[in-house]
Amino acid sequence: MMDLNKKLEHYRINRQEYSKIKELLGREPEGLEWALFSALWSEHCSYKSSRVHLKKFYNKNSRVLEAFGENAGVIDLGQGERVAFKMESHNHPSFIEPYQGAATGVGGILRDIFTMGARPVALANYLCFGEPEAERMPHLVEGVVGGISGYGNCVGVPNITGQTEFDKSYNGNILVNAFALGLFEKGEKIFNSKARGVGNFVVYVGAKTGKDGVHGASMASESFDDDSESKRPNVQVGDPFYEKLLIESCIEVMAQDLVVAIQDMGAAGLTSSSFEMASKGGVGLKLRLDRVPARDSSITPEEILLSESQERMLLICEPQNYKALLDIFKKWNLDAEVIGEVISEKQVQLYWKDELLTQLDPDLLVENAPQYERSYLPWTKEHKDESWTKGLPSVPSVTEKLMSVLKDVRGTSREWIFRQYDQRVGARTARDCSDSVGVIVLPQTQRALGIVLGHRPYITQWDAAEGAKDAILYPALELSAKGFLPMAVTDCLNYGNPEKSEIMSEFVAAVENISAACKALDTPVISGNVSFYNETQGQNIISTPATGVVGLKEDIKNIPRDCFVKASSQIYLLRLPQLHISGQTALQQKRNVTGHGKIEVNACAQFVKQVREMSQLPGVEATKVCGKLGLAYTLSRMCTTKLGFRAEKGLFLGEEESNAHWFTENLYEVIFVLEKDSAENFAKSWANLRNSESTDKLWRMGEVTEGEVSFSGEAHINVEQLLTAYNEGWRQNFESLA
Amino acid sequence: MSKKVGILRFLGTNCDQDVWRAVENVELQPEWLWYQDHFSESDYCAFVLPGGFSYGDYLRCGAMAAKMPVMKSLSEAVNKGKPVLGICNGFQILCESGLLPGALIRNHNRHFIDEWVDLDLVSANKYWAGELNECSIPIAHGEGRYYVNEDELKKMEDNGQIWWRYRHNPNGSVSNIAGVMNHKKNVAALMPHPERAMFDWMGSQNGRIFFESLLR
Amino acid sequence: MKVGVKVLPRKEILDTQGRAVESVLHQQGQEGVNCRIGKYIELEVPGQNKEEVSAQVKKMVNNLLYNPLIETYELEFYE
Repeated sequence: MMDLNKKLEHYRINRQEYSKIKELLGREPEGLEWALFSALWSEHCSYKSSRVHLKKFYNKNSRVLEAFGENAGVIDLGQGERVAFKMESHNHPSFIEPYQGAATGVGGILRDIFTMGARPVALANYLCFGEPEAERMPHLVEGVVGGISGYGNCVGVPNITGQTEFDKSYNGNILVNAFALGLFEKGEKIFNSKARGVGNFVVYVGAKTGKDGVHGASMASESFDDDSESKRPNVQVGDPFYEKLLIESCIEVMAQDLVVAIQDMGAAGLTSSSFEMASKGGVGLKLRLDRVPARDSSITPEEILLSESQERMLLICEPQNYKALLDIFKKWNLDAEVIGEVISEKQVQLYWKDELLTQLDPDLLVENAPQYERSYLPWTKEHKDESWTKGLPSVPSVTEKLMSVLKDVRGTSREWIFRQYDQRVGARTARDCSDSVGVIVLPQTQRALGIVLGHRPYITQWDAAEGAKDAILYPALELSAKGFLPMAVTDCLNYGNPEKSEIMSEFVAAVENISAACKALDTPVISGNVSFYNETQGQNIISTPATGVVGLKEDIKNIPRDCFVKASSQIYLLRLPQLHISGQTALQQKRNVTGHGKIEVNACAQFVKQVREMSQLPGVEATKVCGKLGLAYTLSRMCTTKLGFRAEKGLFLGEEESNAHWFTENLYEVIFVLEKDSAENFAKSWANLRNSESTDKLWRMGEVTEGEVSFSGEAHINVEQLLTAYNEGWRQNFESLA
Repeated sequence: MSKKVGILRFLGTNCDQDVWRAVENVELQPEWLWYQDHFSESDYCAFVLPGGFSYGDYLRCGAMAAKMPVMKSLSEAVNKGKPVLGICNGFQILCESGLLPGALIRNHNRHFIDEWVDLDLVSANKYWAGELNECSIPIAHGEGRYYVNEDELKKMEDNGQIWWRYRHNPNGSVSNIAGVMNHKKNVAALMPHPERAMFDWMGSQNGRIFFESLLR
Repeated sequence: MKVGVKVLPRKEILDTQGRAVESVLHQQGQEGVNCRIGKYIELEVPGQNKEEVSAQVKKMVNNLLYNPLIETYELEFYE
C-alpha cells in the first residue's frame, strides 16, 4: 500500500484537491479513481487556472455556431458554407521528442476538426525556437519541421501559413502550436460529442491501445526539470497514414448519418473522451475495458484508461446502424469494436470482464474540476519600460545594417521550413507560406478564405497588454490589406507557471486585451487552448498568446500581391500612429525592447476596415503591413520578383532625425504599391474613405525600380545582394541542417 | 467514345479529389476505381493514378499499392493501349508495378520539396500534352528523384520515352528527368502536379492540357 | 572489422510501418504473420580486437545510430 503522500505525488494531486475529491465522493478515493481524477483534474484537461478568465472572451456574434463547447469553434460563412477551426499547443512533447511531438500535435488538432464533421482543408503552425546556438536547437528545429511536414503532407492537408520566432527565452522550452481548419460544405451536418440514447452502442475505432503517453496529460501540466530525459517512455508515435483512413471513414459515416455523437481520444485518452461525452450528454456509459483493442496483452485497465495512443475515436451509434458503420470502417481497413453502451443512470461504469472496477458520476470529474483564482495584479503602466522616446542611435550605413538584419535569424527567409510542407494538396491553395496571408478557395462558392497566425513575443515582452492587442490587430490588418474581412479568432495561450503572480498577471492582461480587440473588430474568439508551465528550471518563457485569425473575401480576384509587380509603380505608406517601439532590431543589437504609445483598439478597428477598402481600389498591385524589423526590412521582402525600390527621405519622417528609423517599428503602417497611373486617384480616394477623426496619414514614399535599392539617396545596392542575404541567412544560422 | 476517366484510389491516396475536380473541369467524366476493384477497360477513355501517400509511403513508395487487385485490371488496360497518366505517387506506383521503367528514390537533400518548377518537353506523342513545349507546375514530394541505370536511360532516350525534364533539377533526378513514358507511350507519368495548375488563382493554368489530352 | 547494427522499433512503441505492411501481408493471405520494420547499418571499423571494436561501435550507436526512446539495437560481428 502506497502511503498517502506518495500517492498524491504520483498522481499529481495536491492536498486541497484531495480534500475536494473526498468531499465529492463522500469517502476516500480508491483504485482507478485516483488515476481518473489525476487525469481529468490536470491543468491540461480541466483548465483549472484559466477557466475563470477564459469566460471573459468576446465569443459570440451572429456568425458563431459553436464556441468553446466542443472540440473546435464553428462559424457560418453564409451561402451554406461553414468552417471549424482551432489552434493547440504540443510544446512539452515536442521538446522531448521533436519529430513525434510535432507530428502528433498536427494529428491531434486535425482530429479536433474532423470530429465535428468538417473536412480538414488547411493547416498552419506557430513555432518559437531558441537561439540557433542553444543546446539541441538545430535538432529541435529539424525534428519539429520534419514532424509537421511528415504528418501534414501524408494526411493530405496543406500547410498554408505560419510564423516562426527565435528568442533565447525559448532555449529550454520551445513552442509548437498547430492550427487546423475544416470546411463544411452546403448540406453537411455539424456533429457533437454529447452521448445520447439509452441502449446505443459505444464504439471504439482506430488504432489499438498501447502504453504510449500514459500520464501525458498530467505531464503537460508540469514544468520541465532535468528529469525530462527520464520521462521518455511517455512518447506517442503518430501514424498519418492511419489518420488519413480515419478522416475518410469518419467523414463517410457522418455523411451517412450513422453516428449520434463522436469524440477523438486526445489528452488523457479514453478517460477524457468517455467521461466528457457522458457529462455533456447528461447520460451514463457502461464500458467494458477488456474489449478495448490492445496492442499488447500486458496492458492494465489503468493504462487503457490513460493511454494517449494516437489515431483513435470514440463514437455513439444506434444498434441498427452498427452494421453499416462497421462496413464503412472495414472498407477503409479499420477495426471498430463495441466497448459499451449508453445507460440512463448518470454513471460511467468501468468493467473488466464481469467485474465492476469503479463507477463515477461523470460530472464529478468534468464539471466539478477545481477552478482556481490564481493571484494576479491588474495591468498598469508601471509594467512597461517607456524610457525610450527618441529612437535608436543612427547607424553608419543603412544598407549594411539592412544586410545584417536580413541575415539575422530573426529576419532571414523561412523557406527552408515551408518548402518542406505540401502547401497545395487539396488544390484549393491560392496563396501559400511565401505570402503574408494563406489563402484557400472555397470550391462551391468560389470565395476566398484567408488565414493569418499572429503574436509578436517581443511586444508582449515589452508590455503584455499591448502585445495581446497586437496579436489580434496585426493579423487582422494583414487580412484586410489583402481585402479580407476578419471573421473570427482562435488562440493558443502559452505561459509559464500560473502559480507565480507575475505570470498570471500577464495572462489575465492578455485575455482581457485580446477580448477587447476582438470586440472592437467583431471577431469572436471561438476556440483555443492554454498551455501553462512553460518553464525550465525556474526560467519562464516570454508570455506567448499565439493567435489565428480567419477572414473571408467574397471573390478571389483583386488579392494584392506581397511583392512588387512592375518597375516605376508608386510606393505609398499609410500610417496610424499608435506605438513606436525599438522592436526586434533592439534585440538584434542585444538591447532591451523599449517603446512608447498605446494601442487604441477602436481606432485600429476602424483603420482595419479602411485598409480593407483601400486594398480594393483600382491600381493596387501589392500591399504589405510593416512588421518586425521595421520599414527597410519590410520593403526588402517585397523584392522577391527581383524588382528593387527607391525609398525617399523626409517624405514620411516628421520629427525623427536618426536614420535608425528605417529599422524601428511604428504600429501601424501599411505599404501600398500603386500602378503609376492610378496613384493620384488612390490618394484622393484615401481622403474620402477615411474617418475624419482618424489620425492616419498617407505619404508617397518612393517607387519600384528595375533592381537597384536605395534609401534617401544613400548607397545604392542591387536587389540581388538583398535577396542573397535574405536567402542565405538561414544556412549561416543553421549550418548543420541539410 | 467514352468520356469516362477512371481514377484509381488506394488507401492513403490524397490527391484523388483534386484530380476528380480537374477531370470534371475539362469536361470529362471522372469515376472512382477502388483498390480492391476489377474493371473493364472498355468503359473508360483513360485512367489516372493520383498523388498521395498510398500505404503511408511505407516500405517503398508505391510498393504496396502496386500489388493491389485494381492494378491487374489496369495492366490489362495498358496492354490494350489505353492511356494512363500517373502523377507523383501514381508515378511511383507505376514504376513499382513495372508498367514504367526506373524507380523514384529519396530527394538528394533528403527533404520533402514543395515548389514551382519549370519543365521542358523532351518527347511529344499522340497522347500527351503535345502543344505545350514548356510549362510551370508545382512539385511536392520527398521521393521524386528518378533513377535508371545508364543502359536503360540510353534506351529510353533513343525510344523517345523521356517526357519532361526539369529546367533546374530540384531533387537530383538522373538526367533532370521529371516525367517518362513506357515503350508504347500510352503510359506516362510525372512527379509535378498538373491538377494544382488549373486556374490563374492557383498560379498557372499550365496543368489543364494534361487532362484535356486524356481524351485522345 | 565489419559490424552490422540491426535497429528495430521498441516492442512497446507503435511501429507504424510494420503495421501497414503487416496488414497488406494479411490481405495477401499470410494470416498470423507479425511484421516489424527497422533498419540495418553496416560499419567497417578499423581494428581487429572484437572487444575494442564492440565498445567503439556501441559508442557510435549510442551517440547517433539509434534513438533509445523508440528503438532497440543488436550488433552482429562478421569475422
